[in-house]
Amino acid sequence: MMIPHLLSLILLLPTMGLGVLFFVPSDKTSLIRRISNVALLLPFLLSLWVFAAYNPTAGGFQFIENIPWVVPLGISYHLGVDGINALLTLLVGIGSLAAVLVSASIKERVKEYYILLLLTVVGTYGAFLSLDIFFFYFLHEIATIPVFLLIGVWGSQRRDYAAMKLTLYLTAGASLALIGLLALYVATGLGTFDFIQIQQHLANHPLPVDVQNWIFPLIVIGFGITLTLWPFHTWAPVGYAEAPTAVSMLHAGVIKKLGAYAIIRFAIQLMPQAAHTWMPIIATLAVVNILFCGIVALTQRDMKYILGYSSCSHMGYVLLGLACLNIIGLNGVVFLMFAHGVMAALAFALTGFFADQTNTRNLDELGGLAKRMPFIAACFSMAALASAGVPGFANFVAEIMVLLGAWDQYHLYTVLAVLGVVITAIYMLKAIRFGFQGPINPRWTKVTDAQTSLAKLPFVLLLVALMLVGCWPSLIMKHIESGTKTIYVSNH
Amino acid sequence: MFPTIDWSLILLELLITMILVVLVVLDLALPKDTKKDWLGILSLAGLFGLIGFWLTQRALVGTTFSGMFMMDSLAWFFKGFFLMAMVFVIAMTQQFFKSMRSRKNEFYLLLWLALLGMCLVASSADFLMLFIAIEILTISLYVMTAYLKSDKHSLEAGMKYLILGALSSGFFLYGISFLYGTTRSTHFEAIQGFVSSHAMAPMTAFALVLIFAAVGFKIAAVPFHWWVPDVYQGAPTPVTALLSVGSKAAGFVVLMRLFFGIFASWHGQWTLVLAALSAVTMCYGNLGAMFQTNIKRLLGYSSIGHAGYLLMGAAAGSALGASAINFYLLGYLFTNLGAFLVIVLFFISSKSDEIKNYAGLVKRSPLLACTLLLALVSLAGVPPLAGFFGKFILLMATVKSGLLWLAFIAVVNIVISLYYYLMVAKRIYVDAPHTTSIIPVSRPMRLLLGIAIVGMIGIGIFQGPFLDVAMTAVKGMYFLPK
Repeated sequence: MMIPHLLSLILLLPTMGLGVLFFVPSDKTSLIRRISNVALLLPFLLSLWVFAAYNPTAGGFQFIENIPWVVPLGISYHLGVDGINALLTLLVGIGSLAAVLVSASIKERVKEYYILLLLTVVGTYGAFLSLDIFFFYFLHEIATIPVFLLIGVWGSQRRDYAAMKLTLYLTAGASLALIGLLALYVATGLGTFDFIQIQQHLANHPLPVDVQNWIFPLIVIGFGITLTLWPFHTWAPVGYAEAPTAVSMLHAGVIKKLGAYAIIRFAIQLMPQAAHTWMPIIATLAVVNILFCGIVALTQRDMKYILGYSSCSHMGYVLLGLACLNIIGLNGVVFLMFAHGVMAALAFALTGFFADQTNTRNLDELGGLAKRMPFIAACFSMAALASAGVPGFANFVAEIMVLLGAWDQYHLYTVLAVLGVVITAIYMLKAIRFGFQGPINPRWTKVTDAQTSLAKLPFVLLLVALMLVGCWPSLIMKHIESGTKTIYVSNH
Repeated sequence: MFPTIDWSLILLELLITMILVVLVVLDLALPKDTKKDWLGILSLAGLFGLIGFWLTQRALVGTTFSGMFMMDSLAWFFKGFFLMAMVFVIAMTQQFFKSMRSRKNEFYLLLWLALLGMCLVASSADFLMLFIAIEILTISLYVMTAYLKSDKHSLEAGMKYLILGALSSGFFLYGISFLYGTTRSTHFEAIQGFVSSHAMAPMTAFALVLIFAAVGFKIAAVPFHWWVPDVYQGAPTPVTALLSVGSKAAGFVVLMRLFFGIFASWHGQWTLVLAALSAVTMCYGNLGAMFQTNIKRLLGYSSIGHAGYLLMGAAAGSALGASAINFYLLGYLFTNLGAFLVIVLFFISSKSDEIKNYAGLVKRSPLLACTLLLALVSLAGVPPLAGFFGKFILLMATVKSGLLWLAFIAVVNIVISLYYYLMVAKRIYVDAPHTTSIIPVSRPMRLLLGIAIVGMIGIGIFQGPFLDVAMTAVKGMYFLPK
C-alpha cells in the first residue's frame, strides 16, 4: 500500500501537533504530553515505513514530491529520499521519539517546552528530507533557533552562556555556508535551488576548479561548525551539558548530523575536484578533533561534559571518513552518523535520567548508582561499550569501515585514530567506574530506577536500534550503499 | 494655455487631502470635552477606505501636472505600503495618548499630513516636486517628534531632528541647483536622458552626493545617522514607528528612483560607494545596538543596521536587488510595527521603555511576549519569518553582483544582531518578572498584533506572491532604463 505524500505527512504531523498545542490550556500538562508524544510517534512510524519501503536496488531518489514555491528564484518544495537520507530520517524518528519520551521530567512551562521541541524536530526532519537547497537551509535554521530558548529556559546552571554560544556559533556557521550555497547557485547559472537538477548539471559540466576551490571550504567549514569541527567545537560540550536532556539528545544525536549530511551532499558530491584539494587538510583537522577532544574528555569530571567532548571526538571519525573520498570510508561515515546518533542520544538520556534525581553530574560525588538503578546502569554500560567501539554494537561496524577507508589514504592518521578508540575506552570506563560502581554515596539512597515500562521505553528503543544494527549491519547497509554509490559516480 | 491634467492619477492624494480637511473641520466643530476619540476612529475608517481604493489603482501608469507627478508600479507599491504602515501608526497613537494628558487631535492631522507627504514622495517625477513632498513629510515629523511638550527627551529629539533635518534639506536643494546647472532641468526624465548620453562630470557627481546626503538622512545611513538614537528614544513611540518604517521607506523610494532610474547609466561609478556605505552602516548600527538598555534606542540602532542591509540591494544594482529592497521593506513593515505596537502597549501599563523592565513579559502577557519575540527574531533574520527571506534575497543579489566581501560583512552583522535581539528575547522569556501584574490587551489590539504575526509568518513562508508584488513594482518603473 502506498500513502500519498508520505514525506510531507512526516512534516505535517508534528506541525499539526504544534498547532494543536497552541490551543490547549497550559495547565493540562498530561494532555499536552500525550499530544506531543503522538505527534512524534506517528512520524517515527512513517519514517520506519519510508525506510522499509525504500527500494535500494532501484536506488536514486524515491517518494519524490515537488511543488514549485518561488518560481522566479527557482525555489521549490522538493522532498525525496535516497538511501542516505532515508536512514537519517529514521534516525530523526528514533531520536525525536526517545527525546519526547524522556521529556516527561520537564515540569515547568510544559506547553512552551513541547511547542519549541516540536518545532525543532520539524526543522530537523525537513532539512533531511529536503531536496531543495533553499528549503534545506530554511528548515535547518528552524531547527537551530528554538534551541536557544529550550536551553535558556529549561537548562542547568550556565544556561545563558551556553544558549547564546551555541546559537551564535551555529548561526555563524550556517550563514557562512549560506554564502557558499548562494555562490554555488550563482556559479551553476541554472537559476534553480533544486538539488537534483544542480547535481545532474554539475555531473556533466563541473564548475571550474578555482571556483570550486573557494566555495568548497565555505560550505565545509560552515556546516563543519555544526559538526563540531576543531577548533570550532567549543560550543558543543557546554551547549549539551547545560541543555535539558531531550535537547542534548536531539542535538548531539541528530541535529549535528545535518552538518555532515550537508557536507556530503553539497560539498563532496557537487564539487569533487575541490574535495581532492581540500581533503588532506580536513583529514588533519579530523585527527586533531579525535585526539584533542578525546584527551579533553579524559580530564572532565562532569558526566555531560565527558559525553559532549566524546561526541566532538567521534565527529573526527566522520570527518576522517569523509576525507578518505573512497566508498568504504563514506559508507562508514553514514553508518557512523546513524550509530553515533543513537548512541549519543542514549548516553545523554541516561545521564539526564540520573542527574534529574541526583542534581549533580560530577563523577566525584556520584558512585555506586548501579546498586540503586541497575537498569539504567546496564544501559549506560552498553552505551559506553558501544561508544568505545566494542563489537556487537553499530559503532564498531562503522568505525572499522572508516578506519579501513582511511588506511587507504592516510597511514599515520589511521594509527592516531585507532589511538582515539583507546582514549574513548578509557574515559568511558572511567565514567562507568565513578558513576555507577564502587561504594554508594549515602546521599543517593533515595534514588530510584526507571520503573514503568513507559519510562524504560526510550532507552530500550535506542538500545535495540544500536544492537540490531550492530549485529545485523546489512539491515541498513544496502540503503547506505545505494546512496553512497551515486555520490562517487559524480566523483570519478 | 492650460496643459491637460489627468486627475485620476492623483486621486489618492486628493482623497487624503480631503480626509485631512474633514478632520480639521471636525476637530474645530467637536465640543472640547468629547470623550470619544472620533478623529482616531475616522482616521482608521478612512485608511481602510483608502486601502480599498488603492487596490483599484494597480494598473495606473502615467504622468500629469506637466510631468511633475507620476504614477507607476513602484509608486503604487509604496503607497500601499504607507497606507498599511499608517493603520498601525494610527492604532498606536490611539493607545499611546490614552495614557497622556496631551491633546491628540492635532497629532492625527499631522499623521495624515505625513501620509500625504510620503505618497507624494513616491509619485514625484521632478526634483522640485520631490523637495516639496519631502518637506511636507519632514515638517510634520518635526512637530510630532517634539509633541510631548512636557517631556524634555521629546523636545530634545525634536530639536535634533529639526536641525539635522533642515541641514539635509539644505543639502538637497543645493544638490538640485547643481544638477540643474549641469543638466538644465529638474525633471527626472530629462535628467535621465542627459545622464545616459554623458559621462559623469565632477559637478554632477557633487550634486549626486548632496542629494544622497538628504536621502541618507531619511533612511538613516552612515554618515547621516547621528540623529537616530536620540530621536528614536525621545520621540513619542508612534512617531518612532513612523520614522523607522514610513519615513525610511520614503527614503528608499527616492533612492531607487535615483539609482535604479535616473542615474542607472552610471552604475559602475556608484556601486562601490554604495557598497562601502552599506558595510559601514550595518556595522555601525549593529555594533551600537549591542550595548543599549532602552528598547527604542536599541531599535533605533537596529534600524540603522537594517538601512545597511537594504543598501546592499542598491549596491547590487540589479533588478533582483531592487525587488529585494521592496520585499525586505514589506517584511520590515509587519515586523517593526509589530515590535513598536508591543512597545506602546507595554509602555501604557508600565510607563517604561527600559529593557530590564521587560523581564518575564511572557508571564504577564503571552501575546505581547510572543509578538515581540517573533518580531525580534524576524529582524535577526530567522526562518520561517519574513526577515529571513528578505535577508536571503538581499544576500543573493549581492553575491550575484559579485560583491562577496559585502555579503561576508553582512553575515558577520547578522550574527552580531542575533546576539542583541536574543538578549532581549532572553529577558522576555527566561528571566523572572519584577511584578506579576497581567498586562491587559484590548480586543482590537489583539487583532492588530495577530495581523502583525500573520504578516511576519505569512510573508516568511509563502514568499512567492509577495516576491511577485515586489518584482512587479520594479519592472513597471516609469523611468527604468529600457
